[in-house]
Amino acid sequence: MSSNNAVELKGGMYTFMSLRLRSGDLDAIDAALADKVHQAPAFFKDTPVVVDLTDLEWLEGERPGGDDDRDAVGADETNRSDASADSCTLLDAGALLACIRRHKLQPVVASSSNKSSRLARSIALPLIEVDMRRRKRRAQAQAEVASVSNEVPGGETADSGKRIESPSGSGSGIGRPDTAPTVRSPAESQTGGPHLDADANMQSVDVPALPGEIEYVIKSPTLVNRPVRSGQQIYARDTDLIIMGQVGPGAEVIADNNIHVYGPLRGRALCGVSGNTRTRIFCQSLEAELVSVAGTYRMLETIPEELRGRPAQIWLDKDRLNIEPL
Amino acid sequence: MTKTIVVTSGKGGVGKTTTSASIATGLARRGYKTVVIDFDVGLRNLDLIMGCERRVVYDLVNLVNQEASLHQTLIKDKRVENLYILPASQTRDKDALTIEGIARVMHKLRKSEFDYIICDSPAGIERGAKMALYFADEAIVTTNPEVSSVRDSDRILGILQSESKRSKMNEDPVREHLLITRYNPSRVKEGQMLSVDDIVDLLAIPLLGIIPESPSVLESSNAGKPVILDEESLAGQAYADAIDRLLGESKPHRFMEAEKKGFLKRLFG
Repeated sequence: MSSNNAVELKGGMYTFMSLRLRSGDLDAIDAALADKVHQAPAFFKDTPVVVDLTDLEWLEGERPGGDDDRDAVGADETNRSDASADSCTLLDAGALLACIRRHKLQPVVASSSNKSSRLARSIALPLIEVDMRRRKRRAQAQAEVASVSNEVPGGETADSGKRIESPSGSGSGIGRPDTAPTVRSPAESQTGGPHLDADANMQSVDVPALPGEIEYVIKSPTLVNRPVRSGQQIYARDTDLIIMGQVGPGAEVIADNNIHVYGPLRGRALCGVSGNTRTRIFCQSLEAELVSVAGTYRMLETIPEELRGRPAQIWLDKDRLNIEPL
Repeated sequence: MTKTIVVTSGKGGVGKTTTSASIATGLARRGYKTVVIDFDVGLRNLDLIMGCERRVVYDLVNLVNQEASLHQTLIKDKRVENLYILPASQTRDKDALTIEGIARVMHKLRKSEFDYIICDSPAGIERGAKMALYFADEAIVTTNPEVSSVRDSDRILGILQSESKRSKMNEDPVREHLLITRYNPSRVKEGQMLSVDDIVDLLAIPLLGIIPESPSVLESSNAGKPVILDEESLAGQAYADAIDRLLGESKPHRFMEAEKKGFLKRLFG
């Protein structure tokens, strides 16, 4: 067996719980974690977490854009700087990790808005850089979806032990001195059982904004005005992809949101690649080699004859790919 | 204004060199000063098709390396006025060509007031093909009426859109023309070959011409004479039609229907 077969390096997307730190006071963090974990110790034991440093970086004034933002900000910021002044010693990264581990959580990676911040440089974890605008857009989009739809999002409970998808900014429960108390989900207040606050965040529409954060802007779709040729690959990040023409065999059209092909789709189409299962593919003639919605895919061979060569839409229903003529 | 036209396809053996030879000859016959360049370094055959293989002294690589002048390298065609050939090297390979070197050659050709520069591309999508299409203003995509040729043509169209100088400098895009070669209407009728409509639908570029499958192409190449000069040949006539269309005249497409054989012809083949 050649040495090449011993390992395989591949890209993958994984869902993790994130631990968002909203205060630099280690004792407060310790107490809040104890409280949280106590609600469902078996669930939290050995759970890998992403340590979200972005709020602390903001508090310490170390975020992208630097000190210029401070001048533009109003009253909120004054309160915040008082709050940070209260935690008079800056949080020690090593002590933080030790505290997290004491509560049986496993910090695996840290997310930061600025990799040269004090915390990012001192924490003994690999770093992921976060685009703050993107996070706010996501949270707002999810909140809107939750308020519009009838279903209760995040139905899985701690008991079922299933995969919980939490948007970044959840699972904290550590209040900032000047923010409203954490909203408890109806289920939690009724049964008093162990439920994650992840649900609460998804249901609440008030996503506390960090002062000076960039306003949410609707990103216009990526419009391609000519046929997509075999071998070409087009990726529309964070938005819809619209092709005014055909997609040739061997071409790939990829989007974080929906895909619309005003012509025959003969190549591959992958929508919702960042995980949004509510996205769809529309085309004027389904002849695709492969279609995929948020990772669930179907090849041409398994698409019924009667659906081929006609206008169609493809979407995900629970975990099944649905293909229907338009 | 010098116009540079690349004859390309992606797929090999579909008729690029045959087409380059006939298109260049056709334009020269119309009075335009034309040069046809063989970009297939190491596997040259344009000189064979043009019938000047015994007169090759210097080649494109010599010119790029400034080992010879333009005047020394260009071969003047013996049959047609205004027509010149720039042969490829047979001993070197494609790595000998550089964009800067080709740019200098193009500059010299423009200064010599050529009206048309026809670039005969090698097959493939690698360096040689990219060099040939880099300076193109227009492209003739040669396609056989079968699936792998159409797929490769689609691929080369994509490459034209991203690797040509015009696309990189954000100028007007390369003007694309479809030339269907080796078209056999009876096989299309039997369903073995793609029809004109199928190909145009799949590639979505304007149709320049349909060159029917014809034994005269082989005869001409053996004789070292571009097939457009054979006025009896259907392929030659089809190339002449294509020249008209290239120059902006509209001509109805011929050779799409299978020839209706008369009784005697059917009897005696």
